[in-house]
Amino acid sequence: MKLGSQFHPRLLSALLISILLGSAPSTSAQAQETGELRIATSYKLMTLDPHYANLNENTSLLSHIYERLVYQDENLELKPGLATSWRPLSDTQWEFKLRDNVHFHDGSDFTADDVVYTIERIRDFLKPPSGGFRSYVSGIKSASASDSLTVLIETNGPVPNLPLFFSSIFVMNRPSEGFETTEDLNAGHSPVGTGPYRFESWRSGESLRLVRNDDYWGGKPAWRDVMFRVIESPAARVAALSTGEIDVADAIPARDVASLKERGAKIASVGAARVNFVQFDVSREILPGVTGKSGEPIDNPFKNPLVRLALAMATDRGILVDKILAGYGTAAAQVFPNGLPGTSANLVPGTPNYDEAKSLLAKAGLPNGFNLVLAGPAGRYPGDAESLQAIAQSWARIGVNAQPSAAPFSVFNTKRAAGDYAVWYGGTSGEAVDVILHTLLASPNRERGTGALNFGNYQNDAFDAMLAKAESIEVGPERYQALAQATELVMADQPIIPLYHFHHIVGYGPRVGSYVMHPRGWTTAMQTLAAVE
Amino acid sequence: MGMISVALGRLSQAFLLLIVMSLIGFIGIHSVGNPVFNVVNIETATPEDIRQATIALGLDQPIWRQYLVFIDNVVSGNFGTSYIYHLPAFELVMSKLPATLELASVAMLIAAPLGTGLGLVAGRRSGTLFDRAVLKASVSALSIPSFWLAMMLILVGAILTGWFPSGGRGSTASFLGQEWSVFTGDGLWHLVLPALALAIPNIALIARLSRSGTIEVESLDYTRFCRAKGLSPQRILFRHTLPNISVPIVTIIGLQFGGMLAFAVVVESIFSWPGVGKLLIDSIQLLDRPVVMATLTFISVAFVTLNALVDLFYAVLDPRVRLSS
Repeated sequence: MKLGSQFHPRLLSALLISILLGSAPSTSAQAQETGELRIATSYKLMTLDPHYANLNENTSLLSHIYERLVYQDENLELKPGLATSWRPLSDTQWEFKLRDNVHFHDGSDFTADDVVYTIERIRDFLKPPSGGFRSYVSGIKSASASDSLTVLIETNGPVPNLPLFFSSIFVMNRPSEGFETTEDLNAGHSPVGTGPYRFESWRSGESLRLVRNDDYWGGKPAWRDVMFRVIESPAARVAALSTGEIDVADAIPARDVASLKERGAKIASVGAARVNFVQFDVSREILPGVTGKSGEPIDNPFKNPLVRLALAMATDRGILVDKILAGYGTAAAQVFPNGLPGTSANLVPGTPNYDEAKSLLAKAGLPNGFNLVLAGPAGRYPGDAESLQAIAQSWARIGVNAQPSAAPFSVFNTKRAAGDYAVWYGGTSGEAVDVILHTLLASPNRERGTGALNFGNYQNDAFDAMLAKAESIEVGPERYQALAQATELVMADQPIIPLYHFHHIVGYGPRVGSYVMHPRGWTTAMQTLAAVE
Repeated sequence: MGMISVALGRLSQAFLLLIVMSLIGFIGIHSVGNPVFNVVNIETATPEDIRQATIALGLDQPIWRQYLVFIDNVVSGNFGTSYIYHLPAFELVMSKLPATLELASVAMLIAAPLGTGLGLVAGRRSGTLFDRAVLKASVSALSIPSFWLAMMLILVGAILTGWFPSGGRGSTASFLGQEWSVFTGDGLWHLVLPALALAIPNIALIARLSRSGTIEVESLDYTRFCRAKGLSPQRILFRHTLPNISVPIVTIIGLQFGGMLAFAVVVESIFSWPGVGKLLIDSIQLLDRPVVMATLTFISVAFVTLNALVDLFYAVLDPRVRLSS
């Protein structure tokens, strides 16, 4: 969670800076020794253990040091990483061919045994609360090295997504004995990977220093040194970029973009591979905070698809995107921005239609509307708390009195888990469309691991069947097609109201030639090319 | 004998304070929310992951038992492991301490002499233009919100003029096994703006205190006798007035120093100065209980120690305190 939400100082300060920047004379960037890239990041690296927490905070920064077998490119397509190729041998067997002549930073060769170690470390060694990675290997029955550059993986059942899962797992090298513990890694036993940069130093919550790995298999990296500075306050990141103290600043607030451009900074942005939405509780009979117009208790109105549709129809996504996100957002009608694999071109966000929505409400037996509390986190996602206000105003036009209630993310989660909310704002991301559909919209099922984020307890058997079928298809156009169809089916029922895909915004200074944004929101030196003098 | 019983009394008070503080802190952070949702990635974790993490962190136990476990750990010198960073909590706090300590010390080294000096001179010449200027300036310095002051310092000192960096700690040098900014030129350069942001309100506070003290003392009989005896105004000011007004000034310096160590949150956040105050706020927001408790304990101990030091200092400064005890 960002501090910005609780601390008005920051909000105000951001405004102050952005107002005053426009009139400030530009200061030339201090002459820096060429070759060092200085990045200001909002991402606070928590630990040097690449298998500890599956968060952008860690994956962005650790991806300089460690690498994955498979890499997800800017279109979320799978590309060879440490593995050059992979293929299923049968329904339950996969073969990964590894890249030859790759060395770890300590000089040892990268072999199939290291991949086996990595899988074992995640599956057998790491204990809670570390996690987020175990689900990737839970389908793996055994992994073995059939030769030094071939890994054979046996799964319990068909796992067509196995290569996708490996795009999230960093490969470590096998120590001479036992497993490397998180404490060992954090205590500064230099983390050793195969990546383009070597670890130099880390101070938790402050900085991460990296140096070029001249031995890198993918060619010499562009920068000699990389210095990540953790600057959580958006205003401070903007200020540091303005004064030329740093070359790249991530997570730039949309309101600061114009003034940064005036100061000569360049901006890169991309629609995030994630979605923010309104989710309904569709299972309980009586919901907290939901009452009739005169305050009398009413039955759960969200069980009726007409009510959900009416609310969706009365949601003005244009205001959210244009006003609240200052244009740095895309109105959403599904879980990923249109065009990414598995999305449907037929799903486009409609403009609000209040008359139609009103008549739908009347048809559902609620001609006068009702009262509800619209809950959401504050300061977690761009535009979160403001969206609650905007949505409440839109809904008021069809007689639904929404009372916005924003809370810090941890409080919000605790209350949502306790069932204190009837309808709430949420957000989620994932490696692929099917991962989100699987957790957000599939019926909750402990055995199959589906519906972990389906807090509204939405159940749709037809959709479950379609999704299961799509998930059994090998990654490729056919699978994408099936996922798009499943999405169309489920979105017609409005279990959630997709609101927007916010944009990741990065600003960069004159020493940087170009910056390629990744829809997963990673910030890395590899995405940064030096300016040609 | 008297000293020992006083010291014992002070110690038991401090101990009681620590217990009360830990209880309030523990219950407070417990009632904010469930830290499990910050420890596991809520967007990808399965209910099973959440359940296992809850058990692993001992959060499935009733709160009184969690508290006893906490106290038990503390007694054996261990504040547990940070939920978020997976580092020992107390070590984490200690690793942030040098940054805060040097920031607070530099700020106080600026504020104490400057504030006392300004107050002395203003009080000595009360009613003059200088006095009114000091008074006006101190009122505005005290009423400026610290975040605004910090932003203005960044705006003027970093963005408009480019003289100072806008944030961060700069390069550090190793001393006593910790990293310090004060020993490198670059580090000192990074210290200027945040130290000023912390110092300015304190200059104002101390100046006002020493001004009113000076006015009071200057009107007393002994000062008039000094003057009648023909002592120079400087000598009166520094040898007679200053010691007599120093007790409240030392008190406020001690309190403010403790406050800076513990709660320089706004300044540390705006200048991204990686200190204890920022760690505390971050940890509260992430519900990283071990770190919150370790920080709170450190803060209470620091305040208790500072207060004791201030009391000791009274005895040095004021002979009457020595005599009465």
